Amino acid sequence: MAMTMTGEVVLPADRSIVWAALNDPEVLKRCIPGCEELQKISETEFQARAKVAVGPVKATFNGRVQLSDIDPPNGYTIAGEGQGGVAGFAKGGAKVRLEEVEAGTRMTYDVEATVGGKLAQLGGRLINGTAKKYADTFFANFARLVAPTEAGASPENA
Amino acid sequence: MAAVSMTVNGRSVTADIDPRTLLVQFLREDLRLTGTHVGCDTSQCGACVVHLDGKAVKACTILALQCEGAHVTTIEGLANGTELHPMQAAFREHHGLQCGFCTPGMIMTAVDLVNRKGSDVDEHTIRHELEGNLCRCTGYHNIVKAIAAGARAMAQAPLRQAAE
Amino acid sequence: MTATGIGAPVRRKEDQRFVTGTGRYVDDLNRPGQAYAYFLRSPHAHAAIRRIDKAAALASPGVLAVLTGEDLAADKIGNLICGWMIHSKDGTPMKAGPHPALAQGKVRYVGDHVAVVIAETLLQAKDAAEAIVVDYEVLPAVVDPAEAQKSQAQVHEVAPDNTVFRWHLGDKAAVDQAFARAKHITKLSLTNNRLVPNAMEPRAAIGEYDPGTDSFTLYTTSQNPHVARLVLSAFIGIAPEHKLRVIAPDVGGGFGSKIFIYAEETVCLWAARKIGRPVKWNAERTEAFLADAHGRDHVTEAEMAVDEDGRILGIRVSTIANLGAYLSTFASSVPTYLYAPLLSGPYDIPAIYCEVDGVYTNTAPVDAYRGAGRPEATFVVERLAEVTARQLGMDPAKFRKKNYIRNFPHQTPVIMTYDVGDYHASLEKALELADYKNFGKRKRESARRGKLRGIGFSSYIEACGIAPSQAVGSLGAGVGLWESAEVRVNPTGSIEVLTGSHSHGQGHETTFAQLVSDRLGVPIENITIVHGDTDKVQFGMGTYGSRSGAVGMSAIAKAIDKVIAKGKKVAAHVLEASEGDIEFKDGKFTVVGTDKSAAFGDIALQAYIAHKFSGQELEPGLKEGAFYDPTNFTFPAGVHICEVEIDPETGMTSIVNWTAVDDFGVVINPMIVEGQVHGGIAQGVGQALHERAVYDASGQLLTASYMDYQMPRAEDFPPFTVGMTVTPCPSNPLGVKGCGEAGAIAAPAAVINAITDALGHEDIAMPATPHAVWRAAQKSQMRMAAE
Repeated sequence: MAMTMTGEVVLPADRSIVWAALNDPEVLKRCIPGCEELQKISETEFQARAKVAVGPVKATFNGRVQLSDIDPPNGYTIAGEGQGGVAGFAKGGAKVRLEEVEAGTRMTYDVEATVGGKLAQLGGRLINGTAKKYADTFFANFARLVAPTEAGASPENA
Repeated sequence: MAAVSMTVNGRSVTADIDPRTLLVQFLREDLRLTGTHVGCDTSQCGACVVHLDGKAVKACTILALQCEGAHVTTIEGLANGTELHPMQAAFREHHGLQCGFCTPGMIMTAVDLVNRKGSDVDEHTIRHELEGNLCRCTGYHNIVKAIAAGARAMAQAPLRQAAE
Repeated sequence: MTATGIGAPVRRKEDQRFVTGTGRYVDDLNRPGQAYAYFLRSPHAHAAIRRIDKAAALASPGVLAVLTGEDLAADKIGNLICGWMIHSKDGTPMKAGPHPALAQGKVRYVGDHVAVVIAETLLQAKDAAEAIVVDYEVLPAVVDPAEAQKSQAQVHEVAPDNTVFRWHLGDKAAVDQAFARAKHITKLSLTNNRLVPNAMEPRAAIGEYDPGTDSFTLYTTSQNPHVARLVLSAFIGIAPEHKLRVIAPDVGGGFGSKIFIYAEETVCLWAARKIGRPVKWNAERTEAFLADAHGRDHVTEAEMAVDEDGRILGIRVSTIANLGAYLSTFASSVPTYLYAPLLSGPYDIPAIYCEVDGVYTNTAPVDAYRGAGRPEATFVVERLAEVTARQLGMDPAKFRKKNYIRNFPHQTPVIMTYDVGDYHASLEKALELADYKNFGKRKRESARRGKLRGIGFSSYIEACGIAPSQAVGSLGAGVGLWESAEVRVNPTGSIEVLTGSHSHGQGHETTFAQLVSDRLGVPIENITIVHGDTDKVQFGMGTYGSRSGAVGMSAIAKAIDKVIAKGKKVAAHVLEASEGDIEFKDGKFTVVGTDKSAAFGDIALQAYIAHKFSGQELEPGLKEGAFYDPTNFTFPAGVHICEVEIDPETGMTSIVNWTAVDDFGVVINPMIVEGQVHGGIAQGVGQALHERAVYDASGQLLTASYMDYQMPRAEDFPPFTVGMTVTPCPSNPLGVKGCGEAGAIAAPAAVINAITDALGHEDIAMPATPHAVWRAAQKSQMRMAAE
């Protein structure tokens, strides 16, 4: 079953910093809720492991994350697909656009996600809420990491 | 593993169990009291209803460890020896069961609802109170009749009730 | 009628164990040393399996085996089968794709069986299943039956356009002519919503292998253990028939879903031998939603032609039936021979033509569910009848009366020969019980409270007791549909009856004993009904299609006749009379015209001690068997009237009155028969108001638990008013017709006819949820305001 979501957030940082962060696996790993591992395996591909919970179903997903439509520093499309074993699968992507504004950088995102198996069967009615929560958490984490006061902090301290 | 002790149908039981064990699994697998049934995974069907300290609970919704020190009554503990509880007798008399799978939960729910709502409980209330118990065979018609009759019979057997 | 004989509302013998929690269902059984099976199921509706990595799972604690379709193929275990051959219009046989018990190369629906883990405990098996890594190549999926034949997705290579068959029945030219001269034609587009049977006991199996005797035992939740054994041995090849014992103990409801031979029991048996331990599997409810055979799922265009007097001239029907991803055991028969031959309903219709395309989709297999084909047919006929009557401005009851069949036997244009019935009698009685003449008053009273009241009829007929073996054989059945019985009289006069029927809620232990008690004069408590064990019962075709009374009990009656005949021979020796002078009545053998008699029990004892006759003259013992093959289907019929009240503000539909008048022929136990009617109505109302299995476009099942699939509950119903009329069935010795499916067949049309009546005739699809009814009510009110 599928869900879509769009949103935007204004980040108090220069576009170049935001763009760099969007391409930094360490930053992404710390922003993606439940992410336990994110390793760059090529310029555009990461190997990922994340714990996801939708309603009563919890699972560890193994999968790949791919970047496409890369247009520095204006944005890219990030897409991932993971198998959660008995819990089913999840795949999704987001088109992310960056735009300079007075207060920093406006990031707009257009998310599309699909889940299947037990996640859809038991978590189906919760999927929209859960996806929104995950997105909110991601962008809140991301905003914190790229904010000027924390930009210089080492990832370990964040 | 964790130790648990409780009283089930008047008998003290102690066991070492996986802390994840649900009460219904403990009853069925450890105590071999298989009258309490499992009909779903989401606490909707009510086939597993038992009495925990005198109140109806779905035994699939509670961990066995949470029942430490409690008194549990299952369908096997409802009759007085060979004499059926009035609610059991009413289900039989009014054909309130067909395949029998939902029946233990229905009867345990019914006894609890009479305890709460009294012996002159009306049809509408009975139907409403059965919202947590599913039956696929009877269309509920005879279950409702049986519970109304069982309720009256329970009032006429006050000694039995008090003994519980 | 005696207190326990035919016609008496005897309280059920089986209830003592069920009300005390001492019934024994499969999940209540444990075998020494048993291990547990857990199935890894496909999360995708359609995908190629590129690779299955089971190394980590095999290394998990407690794991005994991880098995896949490759292992199944290596052991040459055969595919699951569909036992009813349907030929398309062009004469080609149906296109049956391979159906392995564990997927081989491809998965075709969410819930399809990818691998099984066998472990010491269920939790260990589940944990290990998490560790299996399956590399899928996701393929396009098709879900909607109306789209299947146009879809890019191809479910099976053997079936281009996902078409299993293009079947038809009836005389197309005659129907075209009838429509050409019609005064009025009613056209409806109907969807028969997909349902999940949901017997309260989930399916379960324990497979066991004994190396000493090289034999298997299967404990399973089956409606027909002998058929399961036959299929598992002859087709799937688990073991030779005489080396496989199938036991179906107490079974918690079936409704058709436990007829079929599924992947899980096949795998449990096979795995039991592989690991040398009994293997137990018990379905979780979500697995039941995913992998039990579903029911219904038709998309239909239907037309009825009538003349200027309101007489039906013809019916034309075109249906696409969703058969799911694989053909289940009897899937192909349901939308064909159990459907189209019922399109005449109780009406005298000269011409009927029906086309059915059976299609594959990436959904769970669809097969028989309570009524199986007949509810779908009744919904078509009774929606057409109701809408036609309204469009002609005729009272719907009068329209039906005008078109009822009056003379029997009646040959319909679609195979069936109705033997007997009195449809007017049922309708008249139903109208009276429903207080039809005062409906207008009640409607006005509702209107004063701002509520919309409606009344709807369903005048159904069903063909059941299936059925004569020759007849079903000519229609494509792979088996004969007789039934067998053995009546074993013990020396002490107590009796065991071994029957091939199987009770999973129907109360056979009581009704069958009533028959025996009635015929032999033996107290009911001295009679035991034995069923559900292939090592005990000679053979049997099982219980479905409302056949246990008409076919199963008739077999018992036939065996009883043989017992009496043998008893007369024994009695002749004991009473020193000629056999021709012995009569048996009221439990006594009597020499006609004398007071010399011997009780049944005494003759039983004499038969076993064999002191009064020589072995050359007469064999000792008193035990007789019979196989009974009926001469026709039976044709129960009746009228259900549903009265609803709708709150147009919320769309809530309340059923305020339900009247059912059924003709089941001779009734053995009215209490049990009424119970069957109640249950059937509830399932039919569930279809009409609540239930629908929903797959999203990608094939994910969105209604996979009781949180999302709305089961009918006690509060959804009023008390039912049930009446009966009786025309004894001439085609079996008991005059019985069968009652198990009637309610589910009649109810959906009655509900929808009542709702559309209340709403001012807006059509509404099933399930008529509050949202759908509210929208229709808004539309209806807008239209009325405009007029």
